Amino acid sequence: MSGDDLDVKVKLAIYEITADSSRIPNSSEIARKIDIHESEVLRAFARLHAQRLLLPEPADPRRIRMAPPFSGVATSFPVEANGKQYYANCVWDAYGIAAALHCDVISHASDGHTGEPLTLEVKNDRPVLKPYIAHFAVPTAHWWDDLIFT
Amino acid sequence: MLLFRSEETVNAWCMAHNIPRRPLVNLEQLWQLALHWYAKRLTVESRRPGPDEMVSIFNSLGLTGPFWDQKSDRWK
Repeated sequence: MSGDDLDVKVKLAIYEITADSSRIPNSSEIARKIDIHESEVLRAFARLHAQRLLLPEPADPRRIRMAPPFSGVATSFPVEANGKQYYANCVWDAYGIAAALHCDVISHASDGHTGEPLTLEVKNDRPVLKPYIAHFAVPTAHWWDDLIFT
Repeated sequence: MLLFRSEETVNAWCMAHNIPRRPLVNLEQLWQLALHWYAKRLTVESRRPGPDEMVSIFNSLGLTGPFWDQKSDRWK
């Protein structure tokens, strides 16, 4: 199997498990699912990171911090969808979970400064529009310099 | 990328964190970005947009200028 084929297989396994369980799997779970050695999964993680398709946990490459739009840790953007609770990496990714799963979602988010509860919702493939706004603090050229801050 | 109720709370956040105010994106623009980036994410043909494609997507949503250009060195 070529590296590209393996990367696709690993990527699909990550998203399949995440969509089903609402939790991003680690390298050993991926290895079991697609029946390859964990070291191959870790090499695929590194290539997918280089392609900016996922972010391994900085202190533990066996775990995934971000498989956008999903977060591997709890964030201030919880997203309820299909009776499960996911976590998005940012406000864009909160909508991204609705786009990726193709379902209605509701996210009980909050104002980035005041903490006031702000609800984001997608129903029937459309966002419920409100006058809220997103602030992009980091220029596109530097998003991946420190993706956790971005 | 944070969510805010209004420009007033964006300005207050920027001041509190000593971060310059940068572009604001409304929820319709944000939804369109989410579709472009993630609608195929769980499929075999999933891929991240390339740099020029990203600029084209941003421009189509009215998000223009070097801030939205991955190849821009203006922000280094």
